[in-house]
Amino acid sequence: MKIVIASGKGGTGKSMISSSLSLLFSQEFLTVACDCDVDAPNLGLWLGVERYEKKEVVSINEKASILQAKCDNCGKCYEFCPIGAIGRKNGKYYVNPLVCEGCGVCQIVCPRNAVLLEKTPTGEIRETNTKWGFTLVSGQVYPGETGSGKMVQQLRQRAEEHSYEVMILDSAAGIGCPVIASITGCDFAVLVAEPTQTSISDLHRVLHIVNHFNIPYGVVINKYDLDLNFSRSLEEEFRQKILGKIPYDTHVIDSIVNLRPVVVSECKATDALKKLYGSLKKILVIHQNGSIP
Amino acid sequence: MQLYASTGGKGGTGKSTFAVLYAAKLMREGKKVVLCDCDVECPNDHILLNIKLSENKPIYRNFPVIDREKCVSCGICSKVCRENAILWVKGRPPIIFKDKCTGCGACWLSCPYQAIDKQKEKVGELYESKVSDRLYLVSGFSNPGVSETGPIVRETRVSCLKLAEKIGADVVIIDTSPGAHCNVIQALIGVKTAYVVTEPTPLGAHDAKLILSLLRKMKIPSKIVLNKATIGERSLIEKISKEYNVPMAVEIPYSEELIRAYIHGQLLEADNFL
Repeated sequence: MKIVIASGKGGTGKSMISSSLSLLFSQEFLTVACDCDVDAPNLGLWLGVERYEKKEVVSINEKASILQAKCDNCGKCYEFCPIGAIGRKNGKYYVNPLVCEGCGVCQIVCPRNAVLLEKTPTGEIRETNTKWGFTLVSGQVYPGETGSGKMVQQLRQRAEEHSYEVMILDSAAGIGCPVIASITGCDFAVLVAEPTQTSISDLHRVLHIVNHFNIPYGVVINKYDLDLNFSRSLEEEFRQKILGKIPYDTHVIDSIVNLRPVVVSECKATDALKKLYGSLKKILVIHQNGSIP
Repeated sequence: MQLYASTGGKGGTGKSTFAVLYAAKLMREGKKVVLCDCDVECPNDHILLNIKLSENKPIYRNFPVIDREKCVSCGICSKVCRENAILWVKGRPPIIFKDKCTGCGACWLSCPYQAIDKQKEKVGELYESKVSDRLYLVSGFSNPGVSETGPIVRETRVSCLKLAEKIGADVVIIDTSPGAHCNVIQALIGVKTAYVVTEPTPLGAHDAKLILSLLRKMKIPSKIVLNKATIGERSLIEKISKEYNVPMAVEIPYSEELIRAYIHGQLLEADNFL
């Protein structure tokens, strides 16, 4: 069963919850954790990973460059580039490699065959057996490279090569390509929200994606005691979909400073995370015996 | 006109909080400010400013549609599409998978029979709001389900700069999404100073490094804003400040008062933090 953790808003506690759930699941089930936040991967930090046993550079996108010797400065590439990656300086055209996504439109419209498209290293896929006894597959898009959605797809293929009963996928913030690539094909979504208007607004946006793919989901309220009114309104809205409520707990900060999952320490947050695990385990058992209601 | 950005790599470090606090500070100094919410996947600045968004402008993109009468099933469109969004089986007209299509135009530009039409579709919305005489907000929203959000960010940024020029703004503050990929890069283009908002944890440090590497590549001068400065482990961020030679310009303490102001949309009045 593939469980994706998402939230729309960043910093709501996705990786904190993913790391603890992975650890709890791994004590009873064959578990693989997959850090799908390839822009800013943090699950390895939560799991205290110091080095990855396997690292592989992957090349997903191509980037264009203009062969100045052939270019006659007609400006067609500049005119047709769909994302403004072509600049003009002193009458010459050049490609901004940080913006270029390698769609190839410039090469198609260039009448002088002056555009070169070349593969560039997009990022790395990393794998390691964590000290908690389960595998973490993680990716990192190099800063300034594009293609995080495709990177997530490759990462998930890599994770699928392992045998598992439970795969925890920790998604990025937002609702764009990397998040869509993380959510699609999952069996269950754990949506993390804080009791703030911003987080609730973003929860509804990510819910569009989850519903689009028809994925069963539940909601976890993190730091629920920050604002009890907003917590209550979340509970009223999502009722039986509420999987758990985690209190604000300074042990969470101590845990990340010490690079270990929260559930290793005894604290209020751990109690709540264990309850959350209990709810998810029930869903897993139902899933293993058929489909989720 | 000055163009600043509030960014940070990690989510939830306080990018929007800083952007609003900084806008308020500049207003107190008598400046005219435009805040530009470029976190188009999850825009929240209007919530923090406690305003209702009203007038909106649609953002469109073109998507390909095959004209079956003109199509000779040559398969060229499928070969040029680098998103693998066009499936072609020999002898049959191609099938377009819209979920994968970014609307780049490679297919219609290369079709030798002009058999691919461009169909305009709404991918997002743009809102321009006057918050006060000295503060305007431009917010971009992507439609949920649209995967390629970089172009929506670009449209938001360009519209914001036009508005800033029209009203004679002194400062534009661009609030980016978390991460460091295309939608952040599009937001950062042309920025004069980027404020990297981070928190004193290994997570904040890790992601601040990523965004600082990107900013270095983009040749954008940066400053660090240390949020929740009074908790966690500040030496982690001090180390990065030295490593990247970027000053720690602003510190915001961990404060329940600030959290309350955030929750209740009263950040503009929280004038004792910056």
